[in-house]
Amino acid sequence: MTINEAATPALAAQIQAGLLAFLEAKTKQVVAPGQDIFGTGLATSMFALELVVHLEGTYGIEIAGPDLRLEHFRTVEKMTALTLRLKAEAESTDSA
Amino acid sequence: MPDQLADERALITGLVDGNAGRWDLDGLIPEDLLRDLGARGLLCAQVKPSYGGLGLDSATNGELTAHTGSLCSSLRSVQTSQGMAAWAISRLGDADQRRTHLRALTSGQLAAVAFSEQDAGSDLSAMSTRIQRSGDSVVVDGAKKWITAARYADLLVVFGQYEDSAAAVVVPRSAPGVTVDVIADPLGCRAAGHANVRLDSVRLPAASLLGGGGHPLSLLVTTALTYGRMSVAWGCVGILRACLRAAVRHASSRKQFGTPLTGHQLVARHLADLFVAEQGATRACEHASRCWDSKSPEVATAAVLAKYVSSRNAATAAASAVQVLASAAAQDGHVVARAYRDAKLMEIIEGSTEICQLVLAEHAVTTTL
Repeated sequence: MTINEAATPALAAQIQAGLLAFLEAKTKQVVAPGQDIFGTGLATSMFALELVVHLEGTYGIEIAGPDLRLEHFRTVEKMTALTLRLKAEAESTDSA
Repeated sequence: MPDQLADERALITGLVDGNAGRWDLDGLIPEDLLRDLGARGLLCAQVKPSYGGLGLDSATNGELTAHTGSLCSSLRSVQTSQGMAAWAISRLGDADQRRTHLRALTSGQLAAVAFSEQDAGSDLSAMSTRIQRSGDSVVVDGAKKWITAARYADLLVVFGQYEDSAAAVVVPRSAPGVTVDVIADPLGCRAAGHANVRLDSVRLPAASLLGGGGHPLSLLVTTALTYGRMSVAWGCVGILRACLRAAVRHASSRKQFGTPLTGHQLVARHLADLFVAEQGATRACEHASRCWDSKSPEVATAAVLAKYVSSRNAATAAASAVQVLASAAAQDGHVVARAYRDAKLMEIIEGSTEICQLVLAEHAVTTTL
Protein backbone atom coordinates (compact mmCIF):
# COMPACT_ATOMS: atom_id res chain seq x y z
CA MET A 1 0.00 0.00 0.00
CA THR A 2 1.34 3.43 -0.91
CA ILE A 3 1.08 6.47 1.29
CA ASN A 4 -1.57 7.88 -1.06
CA GLU A 5 -3.81 4.84 -0.67
CA ALA A 6 -3.48 4.95 3.12
CA ALA A 7 -4.44 8.62 3.09
CA THR A 8 -7.44 8.13 0.80
CA PRO A 9 -10.26 7.59 3.34
CA ALA A 10 -9.24 10.70 5.27
CA LEU A 11 -8.87 12.71 2.06
CA ALA A 12 -12.20 11.43 0.75
CA ALA A 13 -13.91 12.52 3.96
CA GLN A 14 -12.25 15.92 3.71
CA ILE A 15 -13.28 16.40 0.05
CA GLN A 16 -16.82 15.29 0.79
CA ALA A 17 -17.14 17.62 3.77
CA GLY A 18 -15.75 20.52 1.70
CA LEU A 19 -18.20 19.85 -1.11
CA LEU A 20 -21.19 19.60 1.22
CA ALA A 21 -20.21 22.90 2.85
CA PHE A 22 -19.75 24.56 -0.55
CA LEU A 23 -23.12 23.26 -1.78
CA GLU A 24 -24.94 24.29 1.36
CA ALA A 25 -23.43 27.77 1.31
CA LYS A 26 -24.46 28.25 -2.31
CA THR A 27 -27.94 26.68 -2.20
CA LYS A 28 -28.91 27.45 1.42
CA GLN A 29 -30.13 23.86 1.66
CA VAL A 30 -28.88 20.79 3.47
CA VAL A 31 -27.53 18.39 0.86
CA ALA A 32 -27.08 14.63 1.34
CA PRO A 33 -23.94 12.94 -0.06
CA GLY A 34 -26.04 10.68 -2.32
CA GLN A 35 -28.55 13.34 -3.43
CA ASP A 36 -28.90 13.93 -7.19
CA ILE A 37 -28.15 17.66 -7.30
CA PHE A 38 -28.80 17.99 -11.05
CA GLY A 39 -31.99 15.92 -11.05
CA THR A 40 -33.44 17.94 -8.16
CA GLY A 41 -32.71 21.27 -9.83
CA LEU A 42 -30.20 22.47 -7.20
CA ALA A 43 -27.51 23.02 -9.82
CA THR A 44 -28.29 26.30 -11.56
CA SER A 45 -26.33 27.25 -14.64
CA MET A 46 -23.88 29.43 -12.71
CA PHE A 47 -23.53 26.87 -9.99
CA ALA A 48 -22.40 23.93 -12.14
CA LEU A 49 -19.38 25.93 -13.36
CA GLU A 50 -18.66 27.26 -9.86
CA LEU A 51 -18.49 23.68 -8.60
CA VAL A 52 -15.98 22.69 -11.27
CA VAL A 53 -13.76 25.72 -10.66
CA HIS A 54 -14.03 25.18 -6.89
CA LEU A 55 -12.76 21.60 -7.18
CA GLU A 56 -10.00 22.59 -9.60
CA GLY A 57 -8.78 25.48 -7.49
CA THR A 58 -9.00 23.69 -4.13
CA TYR A 59 -7.40 20.39 -5.14
CA GLY A 60 -5.02 21.49 -7.90
CA ILE A 61 -6.68 19.33 -10.55
CA GLU A 62 -8.01 19.97 -14.03
CA ILE A 63 -11.43 18.59 -14.89
CA ALA A 64 -11.87 18.49 -18.66
CA GLY A 65 -13.30 16.44 -21.52
CA PRO A 66 -14.96 13.15 -20.55
CA ASP A 67 -14.45 13.94 -16.83
CA LEU A 68 -16.93 16.83 -17.12
CA ARG A 69 -19.75 14.43 -17.98
CA LEU A 70 -22.95 14.56 -15.97
CA GLU A 71 -22.44 11.13 -14.41
CA HIS A 72 -19.42 12.41 -12.42
CA PHE A 73 -21.35 15.36 -11.00
CA ARG A 74 -24.73 13.92 -10.05
CA THR A 75 -23.93 13.52 -6.36
CA VAL A 76 -21.35 14.64 -3.82
CA GLU A 77 -20.17 11.03 -3.57
CA LYS A 78 -19.49 10.89 -7.32
CA MET A 79 -17.71 14.24 -7.31
CA THR A 80 -15.56 13.05 -4.41
CA ALA A 81 -14.59 9.91 -6.33
CA LEU A 82 -13.74 12.00 -9.41
CA THR A 83 -11.61 14.40 -7.36
CA LEU A 84 -9.71 11.54 -5.70
CA ARG A 85 -8.99 9.90 -9.05
CA LEU A 86 -7.82 13.13 -10.73
CA LYS A 87 -5.71 14.08 -7.73
CA ALA A 88 -4.03 10.66 -7.76
CA GLU A 89 -3.43 10.96 -11.51
CA ALA A 90 -1.98 14.46 -11.12
CA GLU A 91 0.34 13.29 -8.32
CA SER A 92 1.55 10.23 -10.22
CA THR A 93 2.33 12.46 -13.23
CA ASP A 94 4.19 14.91 -10.97
CA SER A 95 6.32 12.20 -9.37
CA ALA A 96 6.99 10.39 -12.65
CA MET B 1 -0.97 47.64 -20.42
CA PRO B 2 1.64 44.85 -20.52
CA ASP B 3 4.61 45.58 -22.77
CA GLN B 4 4.84 41.94 -23.84
CA LEU B 5 2.11 42.61 -26.39
CA ALA B 6 3.42 45.87 -27.85
CA ASP B 7 4.35 44.20 -31.16
CA GLU B 8 1.02 42.38 -31.43
CA ARG B 9 -0.92 45.57 -30.69
CA ALA B 10 1.07 47.49 -33.29
CA LEU B 11 0.46 44.73 -35.83
CA ILE B 12 -3.31 44.81 -35.24
CA THR B 13 -3.34 48.61 -35.40
CA GLY B 14 -1.45 48.50 -38.69
CA LEU B 15 -3.87 46.01 -40.25
CA VAL B 16 -7.09 47.53 -38.96
CA ASP B 17 -6.68 51.28 -38.49
CA GLY B 18 -8.12 53.17 -41.44
CA ASN B 19 -9.90 50.06 -42.78
CA ALA B 20 -12.54 49.32 -40.14
CA GLY B 21 -14.94 51.96 -41.49
CA ARG B 22 -14.87 50.41 -44.93
CA TRP B 23 -15.32 46.89 -43.53
CA ASP B 24 -18.37 48.19 -41.66
CA LEU B 25 -19.88 49.62 -44.86
CA ASP B 26 -19.01 46.51 -46.88
CA GLY B 27 -20.18 44.17 -44.12
CA LEU B 28 -17.04 42.12 -44.64
CA ILE B 29 -13.51 41.72 -43.27
CA PRO B 30 -10.99 40.37 -45.81
CA GLU B 31 -10.71 36.65 -45.09
CA ASP B 32 -6.94 36.48 -45.63
CA LEU B 33 -6.50 39.06 -42.88
CA LEU B 34 -8.54 36.91 -40.46
CA ARG B 35 -6.53 33.81 -41.38
CA ASP B 36 -3.27 35.72 -40.95
CA LEU B 37 -4.28 36.92 -37.45
CA GLY B 38 -5.49 33.39 -36.65
CA ALA B 39 -2.20 31.81 -37.70
CA ARG B 40 -0.39 34.23 -35.39
CA GLY B 41 -2.55 32.96 -32.51
CA LEU B 42 -4.14 36.39 -32.05
CA LEU B 43 -7.77 35.29 -32.42
CA CYS B 44 -7.64 32.82 -29.48
CA ALA B 45 -4.65 34.05 -27.52
CA GLN B 46 -5.27 32.00 -24.35
CA VAL B 47 -4.56 28.69 -26.15
CA LYS B 48 -1.47 27.05 -24.64
CA PRO B 49 1.85 27.18 -26.51
CA SER B 50 1.86 23.35 -26.65
CA TYR B 51 -1.07 23.71 -29.10
CA GLY B 52 0.53 26.55 -31.03
CA GLY B 53 -1.12 29.33 -29.01
CA LEU B 54 0.28 32.38 -27.25
CA GLY B 55 -0.72 31.08 -23.79
CA LEU B 56 -1.84 34.47 -22.50
CA ASP B 57 -3.62 34.74 -19.17
CA SER B 58 -7.12 36.22 -19.08
CA ALA B 59 -5.96 39.69 -17.99
CA THR B 60 -3.42 40.03 -20.82
CA ASN B 61 -5.78 38.60 -23.41
CA GLY B 62 -8.38 41.03 -22.08
CA GLU B 63 -6.17 44.01 -22.89
CA LEU B 64 -5.51 42.57 -26.35
CA THR B 65 -9.27 42.16 -26.84
CA ALA B 66 -9.91 45.75 -25.70
CA HIS B 67 -7.27 47.00 -28.13
CA THR B 68 -8.92 45.12 -30.99
CA GLY B 69 -12.34 46.35 -29.86
CA SER B 70 -11.17 49.97 -29.80
CA LEU B 71 -10.41 49.68 -33.52
CA CYS B 72 -13.12 47.35 -34.84
CA SER B 73 -15.87 45.53 -32.93
CA SER B 74 -16.52 43.25 -35.91
CA LEU B 75 -12.97 41.90 -35.76
CA ARG B 76 -13.24 41.69 -31.97
CA SER B 77 -16.45 39.65 -32.40
CA VAL B 78 -14.58 37.20 -34.64
CA GLN B 79 -11.91 37.06 -31.90
CA THR B 80 -14.62 36.35 -29.29
CA SER B 81 -16.06 33.51 -31.39
CA GLN B 82 -12.70 31.93 -32.13
CA GLY B 83 -11.65 32.23 -28.48
CA MET B 84 -14.92 30.75 -27.27
CA ALA B 85 -14.62 27.83 -29.70
CA ALA B 86 -11.04 27.20 -28.57
CA TRP B 87 -12.05 27.41 -24.93
CA ALA B 88 -14.97 24.99 -25.43
CA ILE B 89 -12.65 22.54 -27.19
CA SER B 90 -9.96 22.80 -24.51
CA ARG B 91 -12.50 22.26 -21.69
CA LEU B 92 -14.76 19.66 -23.29
CA GLY B 93 -12.47 17.85 -25.70
CA ASP B 94 -10.30 14.82 -24.98
CA ALA B 95 -6.52 14.92 -25.53
CA ASP B 96 -6.71 13.99 -29.24
CA GLN B 97 -9.48 16.48 -29.96
CA ARG B 98 -7.57 19.28 -28.26
CA ARG B 99 -4.43 18.50 -30.21
CA THR B 100 -6.23 18.36 -33.56
CA HIS B 101 -8.62 21.27 -33.25
CA LEU B 102 -6.58 23.73 -31.19
CA ARG B 103 -3.68 23.35 -33.61
CA ALA B 104 -6.11 24.09 -36.45
CA LEU B 105 -7.40 27.21 -34.68
CA THR B 106 -3.87 28.57 -34.24
CA SER B 107 -2.90 27.78 -37.87
CA GLY B 108 -5.35 29.95 -39.75
CA GLN B 109 -8.57 27.96 -39.57
CA LEU B 110 -11.57 29.91 -38.28
CA ALA B 111 -14.33 28.78 -35.93
CA ALA B 112 -17.73 29.82 -34.61
CA VAL B 113 -19.88 28.63 -31.71
CA ALA B 114 -23.54 27.77 -32.30
CA PHE B 115 -25.93 27.97 -29.34
CA SER B 116 -28.98 30.06 -30.14
CA GLU B 117 -32.05 28.94 -32.07
CA GLN B 118 -35.38 30.45 -33.12
CA ASP B 119 -37.06 29.28 -29.89
CA ALA B 120 -33.96 29.09 -27.69
CA GLY B 121 -32.35 32.48 -27.16
CA SER B 122 -32.15 33.48 -23.49
CA ASP B 123 -33.65 30.06 -22.63
CA LEU B 124 -30.98 27.79 -24.06
CA SER B 125 -32.49 24.78 -22.27
CA ALA B 126 -35.19 24.91 -24.98
CA MET B 127 -32.59 24.00 -27.65
CA SER B 128 -34.04 21.53 -30.13
CA THR B 129 -30.87 20.63 -32.04
CA ARG B 130 -30.35 16.87 -31.67
CA ILE B 131 -27.06 15.02 -31.74
CA GLN B 132 -27.65 11.29 -32.08
CA ARG B 133 -25.30 8.38 -31.97
CA SER B 134 -25.52 5.97 -34.90
CA GLY B 135 -22.89 3.22 -34.78
CA ASP B 136 -19.48 4.83 -35.37
CA SER B 137 -21.12 8.11 -36.36
CA VAL B 138 -23.09 10.95 -34.87
CA VAL B 139 -25.91 12.64 -36.76
CA VAL B 140 -26.72 16.31 -36.14
CA ASP B 141 -30.07 17.95 -36.96
CA GLY B 142 -31.06 21.50 -36.11
CA ALA B 143 -31.21 25.16 -37.04
CA LYS B 144 -28.99 27.73 -35.33
CA LYS B 145 -29.68 31.45 -35.47
CA TRP B 146 -27.50 34.56 -35.51
CA ILE B 147 -24.20 32.72 -35.21
CA THR B 148 -21.40 35.27 -35.03
CA ALA B 149 -18.51 34.64 -37.46
CA ALA B 150 -20.25 31.62 -39.04
CA ARG B 151 -19.77 33.25 -42.45
CA TYR B 152 -16.00 32.90 -42.09
CA ALA B 153 -15.86 29.66 -40.09
CA ASP B 154 -14.24 26.41 -41.24
CA LEU B 155 -15.39 24.71 -38.03
CA LEU B 156 -18.63 25.11 -36.10
CA VAL B 157 -18.83 24.06 -32.47
CA VAL B 158 -22.51 23.08 -32.28
CA PHE B 159 -24.35 22.53 -29.00
CA GLY B 160 -27.39 20.26 -28.80
CA GLN B 161 -29.38 17.69 -26.87
CA TYR B 162 -27.69 14.29 -26.64
CA GLU B 163 -29.20 11.20 -25.01
CA ASP B 164 -30.43 12.30 -21.55
CA SER B 165 -28.10 15.31 -21.33
CA ALA B 166 -26.22 17.44 -23.88
CA ALA B 167 -23.12 17.55 -26.06
CA ALA B 168 -20.97 19.78 -28.20
CA VAL B 169 -19.86 18.54 -31.59
CA VAL B 170 -17.24 19.92 -33.98
CA VAL B 171 -18.83 20.25 -37.43
CA PRO B 172 -16.71 21.08 -40.48
CA ARG B 173 -18.47 23.76 -42.53
CA SER B 174 -17.81 21.57 -45.58
CA ALA B 175 -19.74 18.56 -44.24
CA PRO B 176 -22.75 17.51 -46.37
CA GLY B 177 -25.97 18.89 -44.87
CA VAL B 178 -24.47 22.14 -43.50
CA THR B 179 -26.00 25.35 -44.90
CA VAL B 180 -24.76 28.81 -43.86
CA ASP B 181 -27.04 31.76 -44.72
CA VAL B 182 -25.40 35.14 -44.17
CA ILE B 183 -27.57 37.74 -42.38
CA ALA B 184 -27.76 40.92 -44.45
CA ASP B 185 -27.17 44.36 -42.88
CA PRO B 186 -27.05 43.62 -39.14
CA LEU B 187 -27.56 46.64 -36.85
CA GLY B 188 -24.04 46.44 -35.46
CA CYS B 189 -20.75 44.57 -35.80
CA ARG B 190 -21.73 44.53 -39.45
CA ALA B 191 -18.61 42.73 -40.64
CA ALA B 192 -18.65 40.03 -37.94
CA GLY B 193 -20.10 37.46 -40.35
CA HIS B 194 -23.41 36.74 -38.59
CA ALA B 195 -25.24 33.85 -40.23
CA ASN B 196 -28.01 31.33 -39.70
CA VAL B 197 -26.80 27.74 -39.85
CA ARG B 198 -28.90 24.74 -40.84
CA LEU B 199 -27.80 21.20 -40.08
CA ASP B 200 -29.74 18.56 -42.02
CA SER B 201 -28.80 14.99 -41.05
CA VAL B 202 -25.12 15.96 -40.85
CA ARG B 203 -23.26 12.66 -40.36
CA LEU B 204 -19.84 12.86 -38.70
CA PRO B 205 -17.36 10.43 -37.13
CA ALA B 206 -18.19 9.77 -33.45
CA ALA B 207 -14.81 11.36 -32.60
CA SER B 208 -16.39 14.72 -33.48
CA LEU B 209 -18.33 14.58 -30.20
CA LEU B 210 -16.28 16.62 -27.72
CA GLY B 211 -15.29 14.50 -24.72
CA GLY B 212 -17.70 11.78 -25.82
CA GLY B 213 -20.72 13.99 -25.07
CA GLY B 214 -23.12 13.49 -22.18
CA HIS B 215 -22.36 16.74 -20.34
CA PRO B 216 -24.92 18.72 -18.34
CA LEU B 217 -26.30 21.40 -20.69
CA SER B 218 -26.01 24.08 -18.00
CA LEU B 219 -22.32 23.30 -17.58
CA LEU B 220 -21.63 23.29 -21.34
CA VAL B 221 -23.36 26.59 -21.87
CA THR B 222 -21.96 28.42 -18.85
CA THR B 223 -18.44 27.17 -19.52
CA ALA B 224 -18.40 28.49 -23.09
CA LEU B 225 -20.40 31.64 -22.32
CA THR B 226 -18.14 32.63 -19.44
CA TYR B 227 -15.27 32.99 -21.91
CA GLY B 228 -17.61 34.83 -24.30
CA ARG B 229 -18.73 37.21 -21.56
CA MET B 230 -15.16 38.05 -20.60
CA SER B 231 -14.33 38.72 -24.23
CA VAL B 232 -17.41 40.86 -24.90
CA ALA B 233 -16.81 42.79 -21.67
CA TRP B 234 -13.21 43.59 -22.61
CA GLY B 235 -14.34 44.38 -26.16
CA CYS B 236 -16.74 46.95 -24.70
CA VAL B 237 -13.83 48.49 -22.78
CA GLY B 238 -12.30 48.99 -26.23
CA ILE B 239 -15.48 50.68 -27.48
CA LEU B 240 -15.37 52.96 -24.43
CA ARG B 241 -11.71 53.88 -25.00
CA ALA B 242 -12.38 54.67 -28.67
CA CYS B 243 -15.35 56.88 -27.74
CA LEU B 244 -13.44 58.66 -24.98
CA ARG B 245 -10.50 59.33 -27.30
CA ALA B 246 -12.70 60.63 -30.13
CA ALA B 247 -14.80 62.81 -27.83
CA VAL B 248 -11.79 64.37 -26.07
CA ARG B 249 -10.01 65.06 -29.38
CA HIS B 250 -13.06 66.67 -30.88
CA ALA B 251 -13.93 68.69 -27.80
CA SER B 252 -10.35 69.94 -27.50
CA SER B 253 -10.05 71.07 -31.10
CA ARG B 254 -13.48 72.50 -31.92
CA LYS B 255 -14.48 75.99 -30.79
CA GLN B 256 -18.02 77.31 -30.39
CA PHE B 257 -18.97 80.67 -28.89
CA GLY B 258 -15.22 81.45 -29.01
CA THR B 259 -14.30 78.67 -26.56
CA PRO B 260 -13.10 75.05 -27.08
CA LEU B 261 -15.93 72.59 -26.38
CA THR B 262 -13.99 71.37 -23.34
CA GLY B 263 -14.66 74.77 -21.76
CA HIS B 264 -18.42 74.32 -22.02
CA GLN B 265 -19.58 72.71 -18.81
CA LEU B 266 -22.37 70.63 -20.34
CA VAL B 267 -19.87 69.11 -22.79
CA ALA B 268 -17.32 68.63 -20.00
CA ARG B 269 -19.89 66.58 -18.12
CA HIS B 270 -20.13 64.20 -21.10
CA LEU B 271 -16.34 63.82 -21.01
CA ALA B 272 -16.39 63.09 -17.27
CA ASP B 273 -19.11 60.47 -17.78
CA LEU B 274 -17.18 58.87 -20.65
CA PHE B 275 -14.05 58.68 -18.51
CA VAL B 276 -15.91 57.17 -15.55
CA ALA B 277 -17.70 54.66 -17.81
CA GLU B 278 -14.36 53.51 -19.25
CA GLN B 279 -12.70 53.27 -15.84
CA GLY B 280 -15.63 51.44 -14.22
CA ALA B 281 -15.80 48.88 -17.04
CA THR B 282 -12.03 48.36 -16.96
CA ARG B 283 -12.06 47.69 -13.20
CA ALA B 284 -14.96 45.19 -13.53
CA CYS B 285 -13.09 43.37 -16.32
CA GLU B 286 -9.82 43.35 -14.40
CA HIS B 287 -11.59 41.81 -11.41
CA ALA B 288 -13.24 39.11 -13.54
CA SER B 289 -9.90 38.29 -15.20
CA ARG B 290 -8.25 38.05 -11.78
CA CYS B 291 -10.96 35.54 -10.76
CA TRP B 292 -10.32 33.60 -13.98
CA ASP B 293 -6.54 33.58 -13.57
CA SER B 294 -6.66 32.60 -9.87
CA LYS B 295 -9.26 29.85 -10.50
CA SER B 296 -11.81 31.42 -8.19
CA PRO B 297 -15.37 29.98 -8.41
CA GLU B 298 -16.52 33.60 -8.36
CA VAL B 299 -15.45 33.80 -12.02
CA ALA B 300 -18.90 32.78 -13.33
CA THR B 301 -20.64 35.67 -11.59
CA ALA B 302 -17.74 38.11 -12.07
CA ALA B 303 -17.88 37.52 -15.83
CA VAL B 304 -21.61 38.28 -15.89
CA LEU B 305 -21.03 41.40 -13.81
CA ALA B 306 -18.21 42.60 -16.08
CA LYS B 307 -20.28 41.96 -19.22
CA TYR B 308 -23.27 43.75 -17.69
CA VAL B 309 -21.33 46.82 -16.57
CA SER B 310 -19.19 47.09 -19.71
CA SER B 311 -21.97 46.65 -22.26
CA ARG B 312 -24.31 49.08 -20.53
CA ASN B 313 -21.53 51.62 -20.04
CA ALA B 314 -20.52 51.25 -23.69
CA ALA B 315 -24.09 51.79 -24.95
CA THR B 316 -24.62 54.87 -22.79
CA ALA B 317 -21.19 56.32 -23.44
CA ALA B 318 -21.36 55.75 -27.19
CA ALA B 319 -24.58 57.78 -27.25
CA SER B 320 -22.80 60.58 -25.32
CA ALA B 321 -19.89 60.47 -27.75
CA VAL B 322 -22.25 60.87 -30.71
CA GLN B 323 -23.76 63.85 -28.87
CA VAL B 324 -20.34 65.47 -28.39
CA LEU B 325 -19.13 64.88 -31.94
CA ALA B 326 -22.53 65.61 -33.47
CA SER B 327 -22.40 65.84 -37.27
CA ALA B 328 -18.69 64.91 -37.24
CA ALA B 329 -19.67 61.37 -36.20
CA ALA B 330 -23.12 61.06 -37.72
CA GLN B 331 -22.08 58.93 -40.65
CA ASP B 332 -21.84 55.14 -40.95
CA GLY B 333 -18.28 53.90 -40.85
CA HIS B 334 -17.11 56.58 -38.36
CA VAL B 335 -15.60 55.02 -35.24
CA VAL B 336 -18.20 56.67 -32.97
CA ALA B 337 -21.13 55.83 -35.27
CA ARG B 338 -19.95 52.21 -35.27
CA ALA B 339 -19.57 52.28 -31.49
CA TYR B 340 -23.17 53.51 -31.14
CA ARG B 341 -24.57 50.61 -33.19
CA ASP B 342 -22.10 47.95 -32.04
CA ALA B 343 -22.53 48.71 -28.32
CA LYS B 344 -26.30 48.23 -28.56
CA LEU B 345 -25.78 44.67 -29.81
CA MET B 346 -23.43 44.03 -26.89
CA GLU B 347 -26.38 44.60 -24.53
CA ILE B 348 -28.06 41.64 -26.23
CA ILE B 349 -25.51 38.90 -26.90
CA GLU B 350 -23.80 36.48 -24.48
CA GLY B 351 -26.61 36.99 -21.95
CA SER B 352 -28.89 39.99 -22.46
CA THR B 353 -28.91 42.83 -19.94
CA GLU B 354 -32.08 41.33 -18.44
CA ILE B 355 -30.60 37.81 -18.11
CA CYS B 356 -27.52 39.34 -16.47
CA GLN B 357 -29.82 41.18 -14.05
CA LEU B 358 -31.58 37.93 -13.12
CA VAL B 359 -28.27 36.15 -12.52
CA LEU B 360 -26.90 39.05 -10.47
CA ALA B 361 -30.10 39.41 -8.43
CA GLU B 362 -30.03 35.70 -7.60
CA HIS B 363 -26.39 36.03 -6.61
CA ALA B 364 -27.22 39.00 -4.38
CA VAL B 365 -30.03 37.08 -2.69
CA THR B 366 -27.94 33.97 -1.97
CA THR B 367 -24.79 35.78 -0.84
CA THR B 368 -26.02 38.84 1.01
CA LEU B 369 -28.17 37.41 3.80
